[in-house]
Amino acid sequence: MLIAAFVALQFLIPLTYLTREDAADERFTWRSLDPPAAPSCETSASLERFDGQSEAISVEKLIHQDWVDYVGQGRRAVVDAFLRKQCEAEGVMQVELVNRCDGERGTRAYNLRCGGERAHETVRTATR
Amino acid sequence: MKPLERYWFGDVALARPYLVLRFVLGLLAFDTWLNMMPHGSKYGVGAFNVAHFPWFDTFVPSSAFYLGVLAFTGVLALSQALYRPHRIAIVLIAAGYTLGWSCSLLDSVPYHYLLSLYLLCFVFFPMLSARAAFSRSDRAPRGSVAAYVLFCVTTAIMYFYVAAWSAAEGQSYWLPMACCVAYLIASMQDRAELPALRMAAPLLAAAPVAFHLLAPQQGWLPIYMIGIALVVFAPTQWLHSFGRTLTRPARRLVEERSEGGIDERASQVFYLSLLGLVVAPMVSMFVDMPGVKTGCTLTAIAMLFVMGRQLYFTPRWRPLWRVASLFGGCLALWITVTASNARFDYYHEGAVDADRRGDDDAAMMFREKADRYAP
Repeated sequence: MLIAAFVALQFLIPLTYLTREDAADERFTWRSLDPPAAPSCETSASLERFDGQSEAISVEKLIHQDWVDYVGQGRRAVVDAFLRKQCEAEGVMQVELVNRCDGERGTRAYNLRCGGERAHETVRTATR
Repeated sequence: MKPLERYWFGDVALARPYLVLRFVLGLLAFDTWLNMMPHGSKYGVGAFNVAHFPWFDTFVPSSAFYLGVLAFTGVLALSQALYRPHRIAIVLIAAGYTLGWSCSLLDSVPYHYLLSLYLLCFVFFPMLSARAAFSRSDRAPRGSVAAYVLFCVTTAIMYFYVAAWSAAEGQSYWLPMACCVAYLIASMQDRAELPALRMAAPLLAAAPVAFHLLAPQQGWLPIYMIGIALVVFAPTQWLHSFGRTLTRPARRLVEERSEGGIDERASQVFYLSLLGLVVAPMVSMFVDMPGVKTGCTLTAIAMLFVMGRQLYFTPRWRPLWRVASLFGGCLALWITVTASNARFDYYHEGAVDADRRGDDDAAMMFREKADRYAP
């Protein structure tokens, strides 16, 4: 019984990829034993305070380069966590992160109104 | 017996689970020290972290935590590879290793997940001594080891998905599919009623060996998988001879000691074991990386827990061998870190990132150490 459950779980976990919203998230799927190079993106972020002031956020100064790369690739879990983290500062109303990528991904903006769990994603332009 | 029961519970040569367990544990120790520890400085930067699983999300692992977990896992793994493994120790290794990679997306190496699955299988492996796995006669001991079959099936599932995704993308998939089939049938090769399979199985090793030599992969995955393939597919007699040669010194030592016989509990064994448990983690003081001392101390505590009643009630040298294996693990960690670039890489990476973030104090601290340990 235990064996059957363990084998079934191993079969089912990779299939969860088909239901994942984030196609870049290939964990536990065996899709690749050598992850492909991520698209190069330029990331910028800004926050808006309740008093209406806007402030640019220097992403590179705040987190490790590997996280910057994840954010640049648009890994949703990391983007959402990063935006939520910026909301922890006092007086922040909303945070926005923009990824300008060279490849097919184009420019994507993630906007989080503080207090929310998940950022709203907008594809602003796409180079085809 | 039904066919499915025969598949899972049929005989396998005990040399296979014995050697697979020790090979993976030994390699895992050096893998954590040489390939994972150098990236430890990434952890805790900016108090930001995203874990692999949501229940970890509020936890931000520091680099000391990460290195401590890796030191603990590596030393315990090597000590179990050196001397007869203990199930509790394997549970702790599986937990430590899985915690190591799963606490952060910073470690997203695909095969670390595979190793966690392997460690979970190992928990249910028979904890064989060299004498049990390699008898004195030329006949290789066999027995039913469902966990070993599960280990092979786990490997087969991994290859199956590599093949399936490749097929879905229109790429060549026959080689990983051949690996999948090979692993599914390899676990049956030691059964007396299947002599034809016994003849053919060693040839099947060509599939995984070729796949891991040809396909691009991350880290030490090819070393793990080629080593595992050699153990899983090798002819029983070869494996038996190899294992006997490999374990001869250890078996001779144990046999001599048994004959010499401390038949009643000798107090010096008890005190020597305790002294060893205290002294062994002290080796880690020379490693000079955050968290390593704590990790090694925890390994000694884990070893004490593993030995449990054995430490006091076993009327033989077994506790001393366990402590000696812990010593071996701690010494190997120290030698590996000092003889390789692992420690320099850790401090160098930390300095580069701190510089980039404009954290001058951290950069200076990292640079000072990086200069000290520069190759």
